[in-house]
Amino acid sequence: MGLSLACLVALFLLLPIVIVVPMSFSTAISFEFPPPGYSLGYYAKFFTSEEWLEPTLNSLVIALGATALTMLLVVPAAFGYVRYRFRGKALVNLLMMAPLIVPHVVSALAYYGFLGRARLTGTHLGVIVAHGVLAVPVAFLVISATLKGFDRNLERAAMSSGAGPLRTFFHVTLPVLRPGMLVGALFAFLSSFNEAVVVIFIGGRGAATLPKKMYESIRLESDPVIAVVSTLLVSAVVLGVLVSAFLRPRGANAA
Amino acid sequence: MTAYLSLRNIVKSYDGRVNAVDNVSIDIAKGEFLTFLGPSGSGKTTTLMMIAGFEAPSAGAIELEGEDLTRRKPYERNIGVVFQNYALFPHMTVERNVAFPLRMRRFPRNREAARVREILDLVGLGPFAGKHPRELSGGQQQRVALARGLVFNPDVLLLDEPLGALDKSLREQMQVELKRIQREVGITTVYVTHDQTEAMTMSDRIAVFSHGKLEQVAPPLDVYHRPRTRFVGEFIGDSNIFAGTVDESQPGCVTLEALGPMRVDVEAWRRVGKGAVDVLVRPERVQLAAPGAEPALLNRLVMEIGVIVNYGDSVLLIGSARGQRLRMRIAGAQPDAIREGATVIVGWRPGDEHLIARS
Repeated sequence: MGLSLACLVALFLLLPIVIVVPMSFSTAISFEFPPPGYSLGYYAKFFTSEEWLEPTLNSLVIALGATALTMLLVVPAAFGYVRYRFRGKALVNLLMMAPLIVPHVVSALAYYGFLGRARLTGTHLGVIVAHGVLAVPVAFLVISATLKGFDRNLERAAMSSGAGPLRTFFHVTLPVLRPGMLVGALFAFLSSFNEAVVVIFIGGRGAATLPKKMYESIRLESDPVIAVVSTLLVSAVVLGVLVSAFLRPRGANAA
Repeated sequence: MTAYLSLRNIVKSYDGRVNAVDNVSIDIAKGEFLTFLGPSGSGKTTTLMMIAGFEAPSAGAIELEGEDLTRRKPYERNIGVVFQNYALFPHMTVERNVAFPLRMRRFPRNREAARVREILDLVGLGPFAGKHPRELSGGQQQRVALARGLVFNPDVLLLDEPLGALDKSLREQMQVELKRIQREVGITTVYVTHDQTEAMTMSDRIAVFSHGKLEQVAPPLDVYHRPRTRFVGEFIGDSNIFAGTVDESQPGCVTLEALGPMRVDVEAWRRVGKGAVDVLVRPERVQLAAPGAEPALLNRLVMEIGVIVNYGDSVLLIGSARGQRLRMRIAGAQPDAIREGATVIVGWRPGDEHLIARS
């Protein structure tokens, strides 16, 4: 009974995602289910057309840049937040979570005004800045949790072994925290790679990412290449989650 | 005794008002095994952390062979530390864990492998060199931590409740093992524990802590038989402590508040002089006084037995005499006459007690 209910829910959640997979191999000229025939035609189209490859590259560049920015902000912030006591700590936590609470459309509008004034709309840098900030909450949650589980006696043991602060950090602290950091970075990457709302506002022609291109394509032409992109994106996310699941237990052991 | 490691008037306060460690001074001899014993929150671990350099004293100095260590960073001291939770580096093998201090201290690379092998053999972990800490049992992990703390020939070894996480039989086995290794290496050792048995069996001297202050520093048997304060008498071993006053008119006489006059050792009586005293009588010194037997049992009481606790090798009787709680321990099996609720005559000789002058 319980199991069949769970299966039903899983089916309900997964079906819309899974349904795009056969459609990506379709021969139909528009979206059609079930597909009248199967071919790799739309995959060939995706991998050869500049129109799709450029946003893919943009997405990768922006997601990597945003991940770097997020980590740059979050790692020192998490160390400060977890290891020190200071006034207004609860407020700082709330501020770190703000990008999660504020509706993306509101953030998007704010970025549009702010980045426009700085002449950064339609540039990679502009989107990297916006995505970098938007990914802060999820990365902060993961990394500060990892840091809370870190046994500080490990650092003391390293210091009494003769390692100064720098060597203690690079030989002990960082390697032990690495799995948690990687999971945080992965989440930041995915958050940027999948983000559509903000980028529609500020991406313009110059920094169109894959989700933006998909949105435009679906509105204007219903090109089945979208099914190809969706399939590839879902595969990438599944792969990412599997990788993070593989990293996590090791991280837990380490702590 | 020439001091090797000296703590001079060490004070540690976190908030500027309460002293977690309050004016502690100890001289530790080279090769000595000194134990800091006390309840949790008594300042023993904080003191240890200051010797290691993880905490800075608010006042006072720490000296090693006359050299001031107080302001030196932990990595500028030559002190090995073993933690209760082992604190092994999870991403390194046993071998790499033990080699870590050698690498950090620029030990010659060509002699590193031999030194690691030597110290792993000393702690009996030779075959485990290639394993990761998580593949080892608690006892084995503690041995790795010990090896890591000893491998670089530190001046002092500090151990913070190193056996606290182990079960009883393993703990006893590790006590013997630890003591053997300490003797073999001859290293000056400071050991923190709240377990009095551990302190009694392993130490050359015990430093008893209470509320940040040092109550007494003495060899284990001195601490047991001649506690300097009432706290030490109660904290270490089982005890009966009676409040009383020295009777100055009669040599060897003390008047107890609840039990009346009591005969004590005359020498001790003279040393105390006058005023209020606490009289400590260990339960194993209290004996059954069969009628007519043992005329030397000058201090006799009628004891009502409340509870009997059988340990197998001994019996503990908990009861009262004239409203005063009284505990006695009889070696061997439980005698027939002893039942809960029964009344027996018990007593002890003058000299079985220890007098603690109350300040």
